[in-house]
Amino acid sequence: MSVTASLSYFSRTALNGIVRSPFVHVIAVASLAIALVGFGLARMASAQLDRLMLALAGEVEMTVYLEPGTTPDKMAELQQALSQRTGGQTRVVSPAEALGRLSKELGDPGHALTSLEENPLPWSVEVTLPPLAREPEALKALADRVRTLPFVTQVDYGQEALERLTAIARALKLGSLIAFVLVFLTAIVVVSATLQLAIYSRREDIEIQKLVGATDRFVRAPFLIEGLLQGAVAATLACGALWAFAFFVGPKLAALFSFLDVGGPRPGIDPRLVLELFGIGAAMGLLGSVVAVRRFLRV
Amino acid sequence: MFHVTKAYPGDPPVLVDINLDVQKGEFVFLTGPSGAGKSTLLKLMFVAERPTRGQVLISGRNVARLRESGIPYLRRNIGVVFQDFKLLPTRTVAENVGFTLDVLGTPRELVRAKSLKALKSVGLEHKADVLPPKLSGGEQQRVVIARALVNDPAILLADEPTGNLDPRLTVEIMDLLCDVNARGTTVVVATHDASLIERYQKRTLRLERGTLVAEALGHKAAALMA
Repeated sequence: MSVTASLSYFSRTALNGIVRSPFVHVIAVASLAIALVGFGLARMASAQLDRLMLALAGEVEMTVYLEPGTTPDKMAELQQALSQRTGGQTRVVSPAEALGRLSKELGDPGHALTSLEENPLPWSVEVTLPPLAREPEALKALADRVRTLPFVTQVDYGQEALERLTAIARALKLGSLIAFVLVFLTAIVVVSATLQLAIYSRREDIEIQKLVGATDRFVRAPFLIEGLLQGAVAATLACGALWAFAFFVGPKLAALFSFLDVGGPRPGIDPRLVLELFGIGAAMGLLGSVVAVRRFLRV
Repeated sequence: MFHVTKAYPGDPPVLVDINLDVQKGEFVFLTGPSGAGKSTLLKLMFVAERPTRGQVLISGRNVARLRESGIPYLRRNIGVVFQDFKLLPTRTVAENVGFTLDVLGTPRELVRAKSLKALKSVGLEHKADVLPPKLSGGEQQRVVIARALVNDPAILLADEPTGNLDPRLTVEIMDLLCDVNARGTTVVVATHDASLIERYQKRTLRLERGTLVAEALGHKAAALMA
């Protein structure tokens, strides 16, 4: 049989199969779609967490405190060294400026600071870090290196807060991964069980095909096409559901978590996610069919 | 078949040390009471079962050692008339007959034409588009025969092919099988109908409790069954 004739025969048989037992196929598509929606939500949540982390880390500046009596020349030298080492922008803050900021931040009680005879605050250099240096590990290493520079007394970059945030983000990511794996495994079991039901209703066809000389490949082909179709339909449904989620629920969620708003576009369905959904859907449909049809081939 | 034994775990053997030689183009009756092992013997021939011991050679190939992937190609040369018909109730008569040709990759138009021709040979051309459950037992039997013959197999195995037919149809079907045999197809018919054996005067093998107990021609064989 020519390739086109085979394809046409197998497709016809696959479509007949779907038409003959639509309910079973609807269940298979639904369970596949649920798994894919779970995957999509996990991916969107993970993307959102990444953006949140990046935004929070972006607010963290490194403040390098200097020894009293550091001369302006030395300060300029240090400033240059810091720029080179961190790759970020640097700015020298005088004790007077620092005191002014502190007093402003404290509000009314801050006025008391202006009456101090001597400014207790040291000269400092503020460093705005480039994105690459914002990972907690990288920041820590950088701070350690900066501490060894001459005239540096202390380095502050909100270490504890950043580390805690990173730990929370990691736990959330791990949680979503575990949830996804659970949903995925459940879906595979449900899909393969459902497909077995669909194939069970056609076991007579398979038996007779085998008895009149059909190869396993010939018997399997229509079921694989069915699996692929189911995967594609489920992926389309999942894309629709995720788009609806991002469009209708997304803004409400953003309002709910406005204190975490990081600006920029919220994660929606990008072409990569669509490709992943179709790829995983097709793979799951195929895998489910292969597993399900196996036990009916022994005639 | 050489020293063929078939046994299922925990049960007494179904076939014991069968030695049997069917020549190309021959017509052979396989007879014996129910449960004697006739159907199992036929199943060994189209590899629906494998022997526990012994060799089964078909066209010079030892099918007892045939790999799984080789079975479909062997079956394409063997037409089988199943005792329980094995017709698909949701497909038309013509589609059931064409099933064999679909598997062989025959083009769609040719499948229909050949199916109709096969149905004509069993007198059921007019029922081509009917679903099998709408047919009588005898008609279903004839559809099965048409399906077994549609691709001109080298060997035809029939398990009680006239079991559900009235005497007139029985003769018609047997004549049909004789015609097929006359065109060169090897035919093996399992039956417990003594009148057939007497009427058609063919080589007859008698099985009892899994053992080949007698081999005779026509009248003698029928007498043995009495």
